[in-house]
Amino acid sequence: MGQYALLYILFAPFVGAIALLFVSNRKAMAVRLIAAAAAGVSLLASFYLFFAFDSDKGGYQFIQRFEWSKELGIAFYLGVDGIGAPLVLASSILLFAGVFVSWHIKDRTKEFYIVLLVLAAATIGVFMSLDLFFLYFFYEMSVLPMYLLLGLWGSHTKRYLEMTDPEGLKKRDSVAFLFNFGSNSKEYAAMKLTLFLSAGAILALLGILLIYKFSGLHTFDILVLREQAQFSGPLANLIWLLIFFGFASIAPIWPLHSWSPVGHAAAPAATSMLHAGVLMKLGHFSIIRVAYEILPETTRDLMPIAAVLCVFSIIYGGFVAFYAKDTKYVIGYSSSSHMGYVFLGMAALDYISLSGAVLYMFAHAMATGMLFAMAGWVYDQTHTRDIPSLGGLVNRMPFVAGCFLIACMASIGMPGTVNFIAEVMILVGSWNKYPLQVFVAVVGIVLTMAYLFRMMRGVFYGPMDAHYSHAHDAVSMVDRMPLLLMITCSITFGLFPGHFYKVIRAGTDPLVSRITQVTPLTAENRETLNVNRETKVVGDVSQALLASGGASRLAPHASRGSE
Amino acid sequence: MIFNFSMSGSDLLLMLPEMLLTVWLCVVLIVDFAMPRLPKDRLAYLSVGGLAAVLLNLAWFDRAGITGVLFNNMFVVDRLAIFFKIFIVGATALVVLMSIDYVRRFRFFKGEYYFLVLMSALGMMFMASANDLLSMFITLEFSTFGFYVLVAYLRDEVASNEAGLKFFILGVFVAGLLAYGISLVFGETGKLVFSDIASAKATPGLIVGFLLIFAALGFKIGAVPFHSWIPDTYHGAPTPVTAFLSIAPKGAAFAILLRMFFVSLATFKPAWVLLLVGASILSMTYGNIVAIAQKNIKRLLAYSGIAQIGNVLIGLAAGTKMGGDAILYYLLTYLFANLGAFAVVIAVGNQIQSDEIEDYSGLNRRSPFLAFAMIMFLLSLAGVPPLAGFLGKLYIFVAAMNEGLYTLIVVGLVNIVISMYYYLIVVKKMYINEPTDPSPLTVSTPMQAVIYVSLAGTVILGIYPQPFIDWVVSAGMMFSQFVAPAAVAVPPSIPPFGG
Repeated sequence: MGQYALLYILFAPFVGAIALLFVSNRKAMAVRLIAAAAAGVSLLASFYLFFAFDSDKGGYQFIQRFEWSKELGIAFYLGVDGIGAPLVLASSILLFAGVFVSWHIKDRTKEFYIVLLVLAAATIGVFMSLDLFFLYFFYEMSVLPMYLLLGLWGSHTKRYLEMTDPEGLKKRDSVAFLFNFGSNSKEYAAMKLTLFLSAGAILALLGILLIYKFSGLHTFDILVLREQAQFSGPLANLIWLLIFFGFASIAPIWPLHSWSPVGHAAAPAATSMLHAGVLMKLGHFSIIRVAYEILPETTRDLMPIAAVLCVFSIIYGGFVAFYAKDTKYVIGYSSSSHMGYVFLGMAALDYISLSGAVLYMFAHAMATGMLFAMAGWVYDQTHTRDIPSLGGLVNRMPFVAGCFLIACMASIGMPGTVNFIAEVMILVGSWNKYPLQVFVAVVGIVLTMAYLFRMMRGVFYGPMDAHYSHAHDAVSMVDRMPLLLMITCSITFGLFPGHFYKVIRAGTDPLVSRITQVTPLTAENRETLNVNRETKVVGDVSQALLASGGASRLAPHASRGSE
Repeated sequence: MIFNFSMSGSDLLLMLPEMLLTVWLCVVLIVDFAMPRLPKDRLAYLSVGGLAAVLLNLAWFDRAGITGVLFNNMFVVDRLAIFFKIFIVGATALVVLMSIDYVRRFRFFKGEYYFLVLMSALGMMFMASANDLLSMFITLEFSTFGFYVLVAYLRDEVASNEAGLKFFILGVFVAGLLAYGISLVFGETGKLVFSDIASAKATPGLIVGFLLIFAALGFKIGAVPFHSWIPDTYHGAPTPVTAFLSIAPKGAAFAILLRMFFVSLATFKPAWVLLLVGASILSMTYGNIVAIAQKNIKRLLAYSGIAQIGNVLIGLAAGTKMGGDAILYYLLTYLFANLGAFAVVIAVGNQIQSDEIEDYSGLNRRSPFLAFAMIMFLLSLAGVPPLAGFLGKLYIFVAAMNEGLYTLIVVGLVNIVISMYYYLIVVKKMYINEPTDPSPLTVSTPMQAVIYVSLAGTVILGIYPQPFIDWVVSAGMMFSQFVAPAAVAVPPSIPPFGG
């Protein structure tokens, strides 16, 4: 298979979805097995891809290119670098786990697996696209399945279920309820998510079209644009902002995050896993792939925006998660909080921190995948996500409780899990540039610990309500396998991160060196801006360049302010 | 001006598709009279057979590159005309197939229905070839004539009669506008053929004349502010007629619009860009916002059609070869998605006797096939990858981007999100809501054929577009020689003929 690995990874789920169209809905087991086979092929091929990735060679590997449309300058151009490969792996792990987590879905099983496979394939497609058109193509393609997944197989919040009209009837489908912002029905969540992400996507599309037009190259090819496109001045800033906020809305950066916890909460377990695990990373990844690659200078100028906003993401998400009473809301807000770390790592534009950010995306995918899988399991058993009404489930489901503890630990970043390495890399790498943010991030870790253990206590310990006595543990291999798979990945890569680290560095090094070495440092601004002290602390040429560049841009504003 | 009607047999060959269809619609009519006991389904298959023959003929023209002009440039056969003829004949064949079940509901004139459909198609084929102001007027009225009858075909239903009356009165009014516009243009320039008018100077009379002609064509395509007939007519007309009306006349009208704007008015581009930008923004925004409030699927598709036309007008406003190509591609994607959506509406409506969106609740449980097809068509209309509509929209946006029409692009992009809302509301009804009556729905074979063809078109145009892009690029070859010429030679002034 070798060089065709990307095609296997991408098309196995699509082929599975098409095959499922021809299977009767009554043969539920056949449907599940086909879905599992498709996801399995994808998973094996991604493991091959990940371990066969040549980190010494670097660059884009496993390249596949087919002309698609000459008139529009579009090619079906696939390839992964050190940033894409781990995320492709994360996607296929979560898809494979998701197929098993959803094993017990009875309503319209066939449709569920079709939509799930399409969703996963589309996200995988984004991670390997080297053509702006196809990047957007797969990106937008991944949004729509979410609507169906949430709307058809999702669940309502407790508050929504208690809502009645004056006659005491539950009128769930009326328009009034759809627009009721407090209700958080699954229909509302699905619509909000779809429209929000589509709105973000069109911002990005506008940016992409502007790149297409003003590069003058008549191509969507990222590698060509990276080498040849020149953007400067207000236009570059405009494109960068469109790309950044368009893609960051899925990431989700504060204040564009509001769709995300609602969507997580309404989604079925496997969807939440994919959604929090990989769909949100589409945002970070696309920013790296488009903004970092094509607009390196503007990225250096404007990325401090992300450094500011990530503080709000981390703190706001953490506090809301602490006060949330719904298991999935807690995990959903924790995800949006943790995505702030990725933005911090990206904003610092440092070798270590950017690699940490990429590693954190993978680590978070595993940790949050586990948490959502288990929240889904608890919901299936008890039919509630309301933390105060749960409790004492450790007696009924010791295995799940144990896994939950491991997932919490991974989420916090306990040494031994891959999250720890990622977190440390982000914090260490960002320290020179953004010490305040690093401090906030550490507070965020404490918050994570607080809300996860609070949820753990609320769900698994304390007195148990009698009518949950029928709840049972994940006993069969089908139920345990996804959890074990994710735990294994999290711990194995946590203990042996060598290859992982090399792969990521192969992707991030050229990027960072390109971005940070763009403007050389001149003697004058070094003196006038008094950056000598910082330079000493940094002790790294690229960092020094970066620091002085940052300061020189701030200077005019500062002087204007004092006048 | 000398009218010289001498022509050879090989010239007449250029009209072979039209002649074939003319003969065929007579055959259909005669068979209907001669064999009154013949099931009317057979007439439909007979019509489709004829249309298939015409389609083959057109395909041969396209492949062999047969082009030419007839009757002193009144009638032109070029790649563009052949493209639109294939478009119209293909749409007609699909409409005839999807009519079969519906026609059983008529109490009278079942056979004549097919005759009228073919006659309208014939008129629209002539429209695609119309190359001067007179043939434009005649063919436009010829094609609309059949529709006046078809819209009011359900004689017992008030809505259908009302629709027919509205369509007729407005249509006749617009015909008056068109005739007046033509007379003004002719009065100012003394010329009728589109390419001859290209050298005219902008005089007030000419401007008013072209505005009136644009109003008439805007009425045909249903662009705001000439859209007022669309919702009621679409709602009241028999659904297959609505489907026909929503696609074929728009295609034919765009053939004329393209010739008019890209040939006659190429030199005045700065003047008409604003007009088209305005019409496009109004159509997209109005169509999409009003569609949100619709409770009837036919009305929803009517308003979404207004919005889609707004999108097509972006390509016209771009006014370049690429814009023209993008229009052709967009119309192709719109053909499959829109006809497919109407096919589902007919298939559902035939069994539940309702077009209310509320009654689509739980369609997924009653007929997974219809619900799946509908979701694909609606998402293609909304412009979601990997379906055809996405590439159609992107093609148009890229063409507009190259011309720097940023406002239009921003409005168009925002409208994608607005339109997604109401398409998803239908998806929600079909998939998320539970049916009130869970009895399964069946789909007849011809209807299945239509839906499969539309599905195939919707998917293939989205994921394997290169052959179709090649086709529209070659069909649009005629644009490249006219659009934005660097310098226009001032022609010697020719006195109006007779003077």
